[in-house]
Amino acid sequence: MQTSPTGVFMVGWEYPPHNSGGLGVACQGLTQALSEQNTQIYFTLPYKSNYGASHMRILDCDLSVALDKKQPPFLAYQTGNLRLAPQSSLEAQVAEYSEKVVDQALLHRTSDVIHAHDWMSFPAAHKAAKQMEKPFVAHIHSTEYDRIPMGGGSTFIHQTEYEGLQAATRVIAVSYYTKELLITKYGVPRDKISVVHNGITQQLPLLPATESPFKTKRPVITFMGRLTMQKGTEFFLLLAQSVLRQIPHALFVMAGDGDLYHELLWRVADKQLTASVLFSGFVRDAQRELLLDRSDVFIMPSISEPFGLVALEAAQRNTPVIISKQSGVSETLPSALVADFWDIKLMTKQVVGLLTDQQTQQTQVVKQQTDIAKATWERAADRVKQVYRTAFLGA
Amino acid sequence: MAQICLYFELHQPRRLAAVPLTMLGSKVPSFFSLASGDENQVIFSKVAKKSYYPMLGLLKKLLAFEPNFTFALSLSGVFIEQAQEYEPEIITLLQQLCNSGRVEFLAETYYHSLASLYSHQEFAMQVALHQECIKKLFGIAPRIFRNTELIYSNNIAEQVAAFGFAGMLTEAVPRYLGDRPPTQVYESATKDCLPLLLKQAQLSDDVAFRFSDRNWQWYPLTVERYLEWFESYSSSDCINLFMDFETFGEHQWQETGIFEFFQKFVSSSLANKKHRFVTPSVAIQRTSVGTYDVPEPISWADVDRDLTAWTGNAFQLDTLNILYSLEEKVKKSRDENILANWRLLQTSDHFYYMCTKWSADGDVHAYFSPYDTPFEAYRQYAVVLAHLRESLE
Repeated sequence: MQTSPTGVFMVGWEYPPHNSGGLGVACQGLTQALSEQNTQIYFTLPYKSNYGASHMRILDCDLSVALDKKQPPFLAYQTGNLRLAPQSSLEAQVAEYSEKVVDQALLHRTSDVIHAHDWMSFPAAHKAAKQMEKPFVAHIHSTEYDRIPMGGGSTFIHQTEYEGLQAATRVIAVSYYTKELLITKYGVPRDKISVVHNGITQQLPLLPATESPFKTKRPVITFMGRLTMQKGTEFFLLLAQSVLRQIPHALFVMAGDGDLYHELLWRVADKQLTASVLFSGFVRDAQRELLLDRSDVFIMPSISEPFGLVALEAAQRNTPVIISKQSGVSETLPSALVADFWDIKLMTKQVVGLLTDQQTQQTQVVKQQTDIAKATWERAADRVKQVYRTAFLGA
Repeated sequence: MAQICLYFELHQPRRLAAVPLTMLGSKVPSFFSLASGDENQVIFSKVAKKSYYPMLGLLKKLLAFEPNFTFALSLSGVFIEQAQEYEPEIITLLQQLCNSGRVEFLAETYYHSLASLYSHQEFAMQVALHQECIKKLFGIAPRIFRNTELIYSNNIAEQVAAFGFAGMLTEAVPRYLGDRPPTQVYESATKDCLPLLLKQAQLSDDVAFRFSDRNWQWYPLTVERYLEWFESYSSSDCINLFMDFETFGEHQWQETGIFEFFQKFVSSSLANKKHRFVTPSVAIQRTSVGTYDVPEPISWADVDRDLTAWTGNAFQLDTLNILYSLEEKVKKSRDENILANWRLLQTSDHFYYMCTKWSADGDVHAYFSPYDTPFEAYRQYAVVLAHLRESLE
């Protein structure tokens, strides 16, 4: 039976190619899959997007002070660098976005549901939902507790997250790990939260190893992500030191940028690890794929990671993955090896095991591929639509 | 009437290209240029246009019109290679200057390296390579040595004396010279005494660094005023003005009037036999007035006049240690290309770019660096070191 399409008014913050992390990628994957499931989407952005999207309509809500993509809050959201932005300007920007989004929402009243991604979008979504009398779905990709793991996050952001979560009709968490956090830290009722794991888009086939220029014979152990405390960068360095005692020619690569970048460079030089730990800087596209394809082990030692899409990418590119127990992605990738982010001893054992035993490595790669096959955006979109239905019923 | 000893350094490093980490394990055609372009050529040709051609032309003219004008040049091997490759006309000009018989060429390390601090054997090799190169191009054998960035210590002087040089140039550093004048000849504190000429930092830097500084109290500097400062010196003094050749036209742009200043400075100095120009070989013939005892290395760089511009932080120390730890392996490989790469990576500029000192010195470092930050300089150097190591496997 053909039903009329579901209208979704989505409040976003970043979208490829203007994205510095996982949020934009997740929004792309999810909206594409939703649009294939009889959904009509309007998607707002706080800047002028010159790229557009064929599967939905992007509504520019560009702010009076253009967002400098290298400056907070655009990047701040991604780097945890919020203290660089004066709180007042951050508040002003979120407030302005909120007004512009509401104006747009009133022009697109046919939408059935308001779906907002992370805290910056919550005030806008809340206001629009109230005026339109439509249900409001708050989608949590990461919280301030994840970004600033040792406490001391921004009160304004905590408060905005809290208010958004309270006001929402339904809440989507990207993992059970995040769901528990929302219950314990934000007091969200358990039955209000649905878990929808991110999917992963099928990639182009791998470049045959013989054609890749990255063919060093040294074992390559890779970290890829923002170089921030949240991502457990210091544990990656400790792990490197520990593994090097057993495998002296191993090569550790840190790919990414972030507020700890310079400090990490200092530490590597200071510990005389220049020959063993190399930095690639922020990598995109081909460079990124070359790096993941060649890696013998991929490590994600995050201190708190709501999901961790990059681990799925690594698995997809046939690299055995080790992730911290404090990461949501292990729920989607059960065959990955896990360890507490601080357990250098166990991670060392896992890395050395993978590097010295071809069989173990191969088995894990195959098992990971089985996990990946199930991790589709289609499945995620299915579940999001279920959440919409629950929201209509409850609204 | 004082003696004036001019010496200009000609050097351009082979800067690293952005060789990607993800090519590790493949043969990289060059560490210093990419298929998409050679940044070193762009820079060299730019500096040639702004400085090398006009200044060499001016020097040639002065030699022709002022029979008593004389000076010294030192050319790094890396400079010569690039001149031959990118601007061969420069070599012709240099040969013409040499033919005048009034230009002294100095000896240095071919790769403008810090080898004197890290490897006796490599230091000797690079000095020999440089001698060979100068001999081949100009038909002469330099007798006076200047080490990279005028780096000097008793230890280094010992080696330089053993190479058979007649004298050496370095910096006058008050912590070792005390209040003795830099305008006299000193002896090294070594077994075989080496005569030393010391840079007159004040008068050299007035031209090299302060000339176009609008905040300087003597801006704009006139030749009359500059020569007034020479008047306190007598005929037994030799004022050693040592600086980068690129001072003329590159560090101080043509618009600042630097060329006119220099031309007038030379003519006015010679007019009425006010002063006398001498080459380092002549200057060292005076009797030494004492020993210059330098237990810890000094240089002409920054306010510290020590090694901290190149060996002052962990980035520099760790990369230098790795680089020189490869010496044996590199030499055993008997691969000319690997050897050349290893040596080009020794050029001191790579480490200068990694310097994280700030204040006024930081500005000077930033001016010369092709990188946005010292962090990036270190990151890229580490990647290229990994490539070099890979080629040794």
